[in-house]
Parts: sequence; structure tokens; C-alpha cells
Amino acid sequence: MTTLTAPLPRRAAAVGQAADTETDIHLGICGLTKRFGHFTALHEIDLTIREGEFVCFLGPSGCGKTTLLRAIAGLSPQSSGSIVQRGQDISHLPPQARDFGIVFQSYALFPNLTVFDNIAYGLRNQRDDRQAMRKRVDELLALVDLTGSESKYPAALSGGQQQRVALARALATEPALLLLDEPLSALDARVRVHLRGQIKALQARLGVTTIMVTHDQEEALTMADRIVVMNHGVIEQVGTPAEIYRQPASAFVAEFIGSMNFLTVFPEDGDVLRLGSHLLDCPRHDVAGCERARLAIRPEAVELCDAEQGLRARVEHVEFLGAFQRISLTLEECGQTLVADINAREADVLMPGQTLGVRLPPQALRLFADPGARA
Amino acid sequence: MMARPAILTGRLGSETLVRLGVLLFALVFLSLGLLFPLAAMLIKSVQDRSGDFVGLANFVRYFQTPALAGSIVNSLVVALSSTVIVVGLAFLCAYGITRTCMPGKRLFRMLAILPILAPSLLPAISLVYLFGNQGWFREALMGQSIYGPIGIVMGMCFWIFPHALMILTTALSTSDARLYEAAETLGTAKWRSFLTIILPGIRYGLISCTFVVFTLAITDFGVPKIIGGQFHVLATDVYRQVVGQQNFQMGAVVSVILLLPALASFAVDRWVQRRQVAQLSSRAVPWQPTPNPLRDWVFTLICYTVGAVILTVIGTAIYASLVQFWPYNLSLTLRHYAFEGLAGGGWAAWLNSVKLGFSVAVVGTLVIFVNAWLVEKSDGYRPLRQGLHLLAMLPMAVPGMVLGLAYIFFFNQAGNPLNWLYGTLAILVLNTLVHFYTVCHLTSITALKQLDSEFEAVGASLKVPFWTTLRRVTLPVSLPAVLDVSVYLFVNAMTTVSAVVFLYTSDTRLASVAVMHLDEAGYFASAAAMAVLIFFTSLGVKLVHATLSHLLLTRAQRWRQAG
Repeated sequence: MTTLTAPLPRRAAAVGQAADTETDIHLGICGLTKRFGHFTALHEIDLTIREGEFVCFLGPSGCGKTTLLRAIAGLSPQSSGSIVQRGQDISHLPPQARDFGIVFQSYALFPNLTVFDNIAYGLRNQRDDRQAMRKRVDELLALVDLTGSESKYPAALSGGQQQRVALARALATEPALLLLDEPLSALDARVRVHLRGQIKALQARLGVTTIMVTHDQEEALTMADRIVVMNHGVIEQVGTPAEIYRQPASAFVAEFIGSMNFLTVFPEDGDVLRLGSHLLDCPRHDVAGCERARLAIRPEAVELCDAEQGLRARVEHVEFLGAFQRISLTLEECGQTLVADINAREADVLMPGQTLGVRLPPQALRLFADPGARA
Repeated sequence: MMARPAILTGRLGSETLVRLGVLLFALVFLSLGLLFPLAAMLIKSVQDRSGDFVGLANFVRYFQTPALAGSIVNSLVVALSSTVIVVGLAFLCAYGITRTCMPGKRLFRMLAILPILAPSLLPAISLVYLFGNQGWFREALMGQSIYGPIGIVMGMCFWIFPHALMILTTALSTSDARLYEAAETLGTAKWRSFLTIILPGIRYGLISCTFVVFTLAITDFGVPKIIGGQFHVLATDVYRQVVGQQNFQMGAVVSVILLLPALASFAVDRWVQRRQVAQLSSRAVPWQPTPNPLRDWVFTLICYTVGAVILTVIGTAIYASLVQFWPYNLSLTLRHYAFEGLAGGGWAAWLNSVKLGFSVAVVGTLVIFVNAWLVEKSDGYRPLRQGLHLLAMLPMAVPGMVLGLAYIFFFNQAGNPLNWLYGTLAILVLNTLVHFYTVCHLTSITALKQLDSEFEAVGASLKVPFWTTLRRVTLPVSLPAVLDVSVYLFVNAMTTVSAVVFLYTSDTRLASVAVMHLDEAGYFASAAAMAVLIFFTSLGVKLVHATLSHLLLTRAQRWRQAG
């Protein structure tokens, strides 16, 4: 019998605890629901965003993240619920009356206006004198590293440059809130990585509260102060990138972020889980009421050892991925499969068909109820 | 729901109010210009001469009068024959343009568009010169008279052909090359890939084209008026009843009957359009033809035969307008262009037509584009915007004769506060604008759909009022489509006869109506001269438009080439 020495952490609350003080809160969303006919795109969303924070809405397509962003902007008003920005209820204000700047996935640069006119678009309306406007645009151009491009038309710019112009245009009126709707997804991979850092640095420098919608977990993990993981119109988890990665609150989050092994286990009497014929001691787990549960572990957390020291497993396949090797294993006891990412140097002796031992470090394990099998 | 006081205050409130105001104005405009007149006409069709309700008695009388009811069969025969011929020919030519390597495609496309620039009266006049009692090719008819169904079908085919060609060229050029490549690699025979790929791919275009052609043919007035002789069709019956016999009730009845096939084909077309959307794939790869000498030459021959016929018809009208006295004195003269002392109004009528053309082009483009913008790019008031779109689609189903007559019933009513419009140029502008509304609306909608859907959202987020974004971005970017719409309106205002024939007065005579009157009065050469004048005016405007578009795209809108 293998004993898990450390207790498995219980499921964290799905929504981050709102311990913030009143003044610290930039945006408060409460009970926000959006319906399109019979389809509920957002269901009772509660969320608070702090002043100066970089928050990512992350989720698969159709999860409601863009709908939530558009509701915050007032572009597609919610069906019910409220949005409060800096203490003012903006739930029913039209977009013009809300304080935000937005960058769309398509950038929506005005093709018939020069870079200068695009950036100055919102400034003209404020009746700034031309001198001040010129100065502000120059500032913004410098900010996004495009000095000298002011007389070009958008079609003459690369995708990354267009993206930066869109960013400058959104920031021109000094909005308190910056909304980014998949701003990087139309760019090729290398530009994307470069711009990621640039946008993050810019945001940190200006201290503007920012919400970015993305379906790219890497983008969210590298850029966000906090990530809001969404699925099917509800928030699955809110947390820092590390929390989301290390302590996923649900099987969905665990599966969506990074790669994850899932092993089916059966809760026995007391604090015991059965994996095949192995019994795992697991104090204080909260899946006692379930017929089955899923034990989750990241591939890089799986440890290999001698066959006698852990769960016996057979090597099925070895995949070379540069810095590490990905080993596909079958647990001999129960026939379930497992993937382990092993540092390249340790693994070069492994051959398919070989038998070895697998250790699952308790601190790296997460336990989830099997959604289909709740008693 | 909470109250929304913020919306109704300040500038933001005014923006919402302006939007609502314009939307309501647009709805009222189209109701007055389309719905109320049609309603007035429907009411008229169930009243007797003294205005009492008589139920369907007028309709019963109509069907019991063989001279009237016979026109239904006549109309159907003529429209169906024209449809078969035009769709067949247009398909061959469109195939030549899109699927072969025939030389001179651009020249042929330019030739093929010419009939649109002339009133439908022009081919009828030319046909009389070519095949009439004094015609050069009289024998080719083998004893049959050109005055009647033969002449009508020939004339119709001539001026409907460009419409069919444009629809089918579009349908044939939007098919996906990958399908043909797949078929080729599977060793599919050419005739089989034609049956299994080309035909299904364009079936919606083909159906749509068939119905457009049928509607144009059954509702046309100009051709049967000139060349129909004693062969009566529905459109000429409306005119005869109203202008000839002053029987407005019977005119209304014929109009209702004429409205039915047009409405039916409109309904089918809408249904087809809706299904077609699901077919389009943005990832389709355009197909490029490879040379095949036999096929290419066959299609060159077909297309240029059609082109030669078009040139012959137009050339005949021009020539006929220039000779002293056909066919006895063929020396050239310009005296037929003087129109002095003849029926129709002469050069004053031409000037009126030009005025009408420019007014409709300017007012119409503005109204139609703003309305299309409301439908496509603004948000809120969804039911109102959908209603506006529906009203914008409806004019396509209303034949010109019906619309014109409906205007008499509505605007000439005693007690209508808009009665003052009757007999002015303004009512002609309104009528022409509504008559040709739908195509312009669709062109504008298509252009607006191609713009980034977030321009308005960006403008709003930057606190810029919507009219500024419309003026600074949306309108300039859509300018080519806007120019297309305006030239389309101008040309149609110049050439249309059907609706305006009921609405002109001695002060507002029009060139196209003058052609008809000159022909009625027996001044055939002057009628031809006036028709030719209209043709060249349209051609001139079209050329100016082409030049302007070209300059615009290369100079003023340099940004289009920046990429």
C-alpha cells in the first residue's frame, strides 16, 4: 500500500476571495448574465478587478470571454447584473460614456487615415489645440516604438506595427481601463512573443488597469497578474498564473492549462483511494461521495525510479523533444496510461518495453471528482 | 431593470436621439414613398368609380373580359420565352468570360453593358427599322410581323441581357478551384464535372438570374409599347386602362395582377439568397482557365456574335436618327435632333431628365447609403432596423407601372397633405428613387459588410460621435460603392419610362417619355434621335464615373495601394 504522506489540498473556491479594500477596486462585476435568445453566454458572473492590475480572460472559444469584455465596454449590454467602475454604476451607460480604450483582434485601424490621424482620432474630438495634439501623438508614437511612421497608411505597416498603432490609438485619450480583445492572435509566432513583452512592459509603466481576452494559455501565463479561466459562460477559477498552474480548481482548468495526466481512482472507506489494486492513503479528500475520482499530475512532476520502489509501469514510447523527453507509460497494475516529461540526460537509457517504477509526489497531486460519476 | 437616465441626458443622449430620429425618418420616408401608395392602389382595386366598396367585382369583370384576361397569357408567353433565351445566351457568354481563355474579354464586357444605358424603347425602335415594313431584314421573319410577340421577345432579350450576364458572371467566377482539381485527380470526365460541380455551384445564381429576368420581362413597358402592335401585355394594359380609357379601377386591378408574379419571384429570390450564404466559403481558391483553342474560339464566336448584335441594334438607332427619310432618302442630317414643334417636349424634356437624373443620384445616394448604414452598422432598435431593411427590399418586387399608378392614387387624393407634390419634379425624384431603391440598398449593404465591424466600436470608445466616424471613415472607405450607386441611379432615371409615364406634367416632361410620344405621333426618326440622346447622356456619365473612380482609387485614395 502506497501512502501519500502529505494531505491533498482541498478544492479552492472557484472565485478569488475579495479581500481588497474598497478604494483598491477598479471594476466590480456582480451577477452579470448575458443571454442570446435561449443561449446563455454568460451566467451570473462575479468578478472584481484591482486598480492597475493586468487581468487575462482565458478560455476555449465560445466560453464567453469576449462577450464579457464587450459587456464591460458596453458594446453588447448584459441581460442582467451590474458593472461598477471606480464606484460609479456604468451598467447602463452607452460605450461613449464609459472610460475605456479598446484594441480589437482585427485592430480596426481606419484604412483611409494615416498613422497620425488614427492615433489622433480620439484627440481631435477633445478640441485640444493642434500643438498639444501633435505632442501627444509624438509621445504615443515613441511609446510604441513607431516614431517616424506617422504619415504612413495602415496598409503599409506590418501586422505587429498595426497592432502597436491600435494600442497607441486606444491609449491616446488616457483611459482608466484598457481592453484588449485577442490582440496578438492575428500575428505570427515570433512577433507575438516579442509584442507580449512589449505590451506587458508598457502596461507596467503606465499602470493602466488592463483586461486582455485570449485563448492562448502561454500568453495568459506570461503576461497576466491574475488569470480568469472561463468555460461555458462561467468562471472556473481566478488566480495568479502560478496558482492556476499549480492548484487548478477544477479538472477543466487542470486540463486546459498546460498538459496533465489524469488517473481514475476509486474512493474506498475512510481516507483511502484505490488505483488499480493499489491503495493510496489520502487524508481529508473531498470526493468521498463519488463513485470515481480523477487524480491529476503534471507530466514534469512524475518521477521515475526502480521498478521495486514505485508503481510498476512499462515504457510504451519515447519522444525526443529537445530539452526533455516525453515518456508514455502504462501502469501494469491497472492498465492506465501516464506521460512523464524527463530531463533529457536522465532518460537516454530508456527503451520501449522496459519496465520501471513511477512515483507520484503527493505535493504535485490534485484530486477531482469525476463529473459524470457523482453519486 | 434599472432606469436609464444617463442615456437621455447630454450629448450622449443626443447621439442616441439623432440615431432614433434618422431611423424613424427613414421608415416614414419609405412608408410614404412605397407602402401608402401601394395600399391606396389595393383599395382602389376593390372600389367602383364612385369610390364605394364593391369587393372583388372589378376582378370578376376583368376575368370575364377576354380582351383583358388574354393579356395574362400573352405576358407569360413573352416573359417565359425571353427568360429562356436570355438566360441561355447569358450563361454561354458568362461561361466564355469566366471559364475560357477567349481574347478580348474586357472589350466584350464593355459591349455587353451598353443596352443598360439605353431606354428599353431604343431596341424596339431599332427592331422596327430592321424588321418592320420598310426594314432591311424583313424577309428574315418569313412573313411574320415584327409587331407582336416576336418583336417584343427580341427587344426584351436585348435590354435584359446585361442584367443576366452580370449575375451569371458573378456566380460563375466565385466557384472554388480546389473542387475541380480534386475532380481532375480522381479522373472525372469533363462533362461529369460540369454536371456535378459547375451546375450545383451556380444553381442559386442561375435561379436568382432566372427570376430577375422573368420579373424584368413581365413588367417591362417600353418594348411592348413601341413594338407590341395589337399584342397586349399586362404592362401596356395598365397604361391603356388609365391613360387611354381613364378607367382607374381597372388599371388598379391589372396592377394587382401584375404585382403577383413579381412578388412571387421576389419571394423565391429572397429564399434562394438566404440559402446561398451558407454555401460560400472564404477559403475558396479562384479558378484559372487554361488555354484550349477549340473551346476558346467557339466561345469567342458566340460572345462576339452577341456583341455584334448589340452594336447593330444601337447602331441602327443612331443611323436611323441621322438619315433624312428612311429608307427613301439616306443622306445624313441632324434635323431630327431639333425636335422643333414635335410632341414630347424636345430638348426641355432632355434637360428635365438630366435634372431628374442628378437629383435622384445625389438625394438617392445620400438617403440610401445612410439608411443602409443604419441597417448594417448601428445598434439598438433591432425591430425598427429590420423593418427598414424589409422596406428597402420590397421595391424590387414592385413593377414600375404599378408604382407609378399607386402614386397617382395616393398623392392625387383630395385631402392628402402631400398633394402639393403632385405634378412637381420632386414626385418624379421620389418615385424614381423608390423604384430603383433595392439594388442600391444591396450594393451599399455589401460594401458596408466588407468594412471592419469594429470601426463604430472604436469610434465610440474614443468618444467620437457616430456621425464623425461615418463622415471621416465609413463614407470615404465605401466611396467606390457610393459612386456605383449614384451612377446606377442616374442611368436608370434617364432611361426609365414605366413609373414616370403616369406622373409627368407639361412642365416636367422627360426624355424617355418623349421617345414614346414621338413614336406614337409617328416621328420615328426623332424618337430614335431622342433615344440615342439618352443613350449617349448615360454613356457620358458612365465614362465620367469610370474616370472619376479611377482617379479616386489611384490619387485621392492613395491609401488603397499602400499595401
